[in-house]
Amino acid sequence: MRNVYLIFRRDYLGYVRAWGFWLSLAAVPLFMLIGGTFAVFAAKSSPVRYYAVVDPAGIYAAAIEAEFARDDEAAGQQARDLAATMDLPPEHQAALESGNAAPQRKFILVPAPAASIDALRPYLMGERLVSGPLGDKSLFAVFIPSTDGSSLEYWSDDVNVVALRAVAANAMRRLARQDALSEAGLGADFLAEVDAGALQVPAYRIRTVVEQATTGSEVTMADRAPVYVAGGLAYFLWLMIFSIIQYLLMGTIEERSNKIFDTLLTSVRLPELLAGKLLAVFAVTSTMMLSWGLFAFGASLFATSQIPGGASLLSPFLAAFANPAIIIPGLISFLLGYVMYGMIFMALGSLCDTIQEAQTLLSPMMILLMLPMFAIFIAFQDPGSPIVDIASWIPVFTPFLLILRMPHNPPMWEVIAQMGIMALTALAILWFATKIYRAGAVHGAGIGDLAGVFKRMLGRKG
Amino acid sequence: MSMPPLVISHATKRFGAFTAVSDLSLTVPEGAIIGFLGPNGAGKSTSLRMALGVMQPDSGSVSLFGKPPEISTLKRVGFLPEERGLYKKMTTRATIEHFARLKGLTARDARARAIELLDMSGLGEFKSTRISKLSKGMAQKVQILSTLAHRPEFLILDEPFSGLDPVNQQVLEDLIRTEHDRGATILFSTHVMEHAERLCDRIVMMARGRKVFDGTLDDAFASLGRGARIAVAEGFDLAAALAPAGFEAHRAPENGPGDAWRISLPRGTGAQDALRAAIDAGAPIVGFAPEEARLRDVFVSLVGEADAAALRESAAGEAA
Repeated sequence: MRNVYLIFRRDYLGYVRAWGFWLSLAAVPLFMLIGGTFAVFAAKSSPVRYYAVVDPAGIYAAAIEAEFARDDEAAGQQARDLAATMDLPPEHQAALESGNAAPQRKFILVPAPAASIDALRPYLMGERLVSGPLGDKSLFAVFIPSTDGSSLEYWSDDVNVVALRAVAANAMRRLARQDALSEAGLGADFLAEVDAGALQVPAYRIRTVVEQATTGSEVTMADRAPVYVAGGLAYFLWLMIFSIIQYLLMGTIEERSNKIFDTLLTSVRLPELLAGKLLAVFAVTSTMMLSWGLFAFGASLFATSQIPGGASLLSPFLAAFANPAIIIPGLISFLLGYVMYGMIFMALGSLCDTIQEAQTLLSPMMILLMLPMFAIFIAFQDPGSPIVDIASWIPVFTPFLLILRMPHNPPMWEVIAQMGIMALTALAILWFATKIYRAGAVHGAGIGDLAGVFKRMLGRKG
Repeated sequence: MSMPPLVISHATKRFGAFTAVSDLSLTVPEGAIIGFLGPNGAGKSTSLRMALGVMQPDSGSVSLFGKPPEISTLKRVGFLPEERGLYKKMTTRATIEHFARLKGLTARDARARAIELLDMSGLGEFKSTRISKLSKGMAQKVQILSTLAHRPEFLILDEPFSGLDPVNQQVLEDLIRTEHDRGATILFSTHVMEHAERLCDRIVMMARGRKVFDGTLDDAFASLGRGARIAVAEGFDLAAALAPAGFEAHRAPENGPGDAWRISLPRGTGAQDALRAAIDAGAPIVGFAPEEARLRDVFVSLVGEADAAALRESAAGEAA
């Protein structure tokens, strides 16, 4: 164990002392911070624009404004629905219910300064300004009915901003429906009343009678959190394996090109050497991912602390993490998956002399790694799919899919059998990869000489 | 009675159809300093790797201190491989410390030993310097120090002088003598015969995977008949001229004025006798040199000119 520790220590310190490690460590939080800040800034700094409708009767302008009001109301309702799932203090709940949670309007209707597009041109091109609630500004867009009355033309100097036009299109559709209903002798709210009268389809989670008596049957975040946690864990494993490729390949190539194996192998056994190296890379990626995870957790805590009752959003996820039925098989799958993939990459790295040689291996490895990613995606969408069921028995997929299946309570015998197969496969890969590693690192077999690799692997001795 | 540090018995190692080492038997007794000689490709490194258990022989056996090579016995061995390699991003002190700890020293002892060795070898000011920043010779010195850090009882050095300038070759020779005086048994391979002549009390010669000589330096020189070199004007047949006087002469492949001949001296005769016989025979002599036996000549006499040429090429490549 001492030798494993010494190899681990050297490799780990070697990796974490490199500036690239710290760059990677800082990159994700920085990216999150910059991305978040940028999104908030973009939302807040988005300008409020004036628009006008050439419409003496005011019908179109009223329809568009009504559409905006409906959108605002829908956004407010969404916020209230979310708030209802949170443990909000009564005063905040009341404020939400009475207030409008919709964001600030970005388009404000102003009277049209002219009635023709030629006369409106200077206003639209910023040469002249119109007055409005926020002072004098250029006109961002104007709606003018076409001469034949078949369309409501949208004119603007910036046609890439499509939100206003989309709202207007919805408003015109709604107006047309209202006209049709009116002609049919039906009220304007006829369709809304019909919709309101439709049967609701609420979701309930079937539970035992005892559970139902204590927790009720409504579907809550606590029902969904285990799936999200398992999905996160599976994706985390995939990301980790994806990240270790370069560490294991490059680290082994460096040692092979440094001709250091003979010296090492007169001090440590080959399994100790491999274990130390594998642990070091595991620790490096864990350090990185735990740091990112802690940052994300801290950011989530901060964000939820800013929302009254927000802590209740996190608690189902924390409970899922603490659930041994998910986390124990999850961790076992995680470790065995890491050993399986890690040993494959390390063995392949031992056959390469140069980074160029390693790069030729990277593409097939990426393809190999995309397969579990597809499997994760399918399993996340439909964990009961027969494809997922079958794929979970294939050892290269098992680590990911078993984690994802755990929230759905698969039969215990399947869990044990799949973990057993995974363990046996990991041992077989360990044995096989050690042979390849010895052939490559000790006997100098190369990736360009596969026949030589097998000859050295299958050689009677040494 | 303590077991010899190394016993190789009838070891053979093949790589496919190529036999790298054939039926090698070798015993390294405690306290010996043995030179393992031969040109590149003679099987020296493969033999040493088998001795350390890095490679297993296809047949035959190896024992280190009476046991098969294993990590516990290898802790008593210091090994300098032919292909030098260190972690380029580690500092000199950390490097020596790391390898010393792998050989069983505690963290504190390893650190103290690393500092002691660096100071002793004149690298004290480079304690915190990364290997990548050192010259090739200095890096090689660090590797040698790493080999010595745990005070091994048995040192196996594979081409230790390779890549060192003459000054550092002398420093290394002194270091080997110091280690030997400390009580270490030393086995080192080289294709530069002069190092072996100066350092060894016993030599083992290899050629084409086979051991061709195993004995003391005196044995080696005794195996070589004594001789003299005489150069005569071109076209003169010295062999025929000396035959009546009982001297055997062969053309020697030397460049110089006239034709060079090597004269074998029968027991009881000297180089001066051969010279006198040549003068008496009317030979147009343009050069004369009594022959001083060198290990290279021993090697030539044992393996023939072809392998000797290979040895010269190895040494020339090294010098370049």
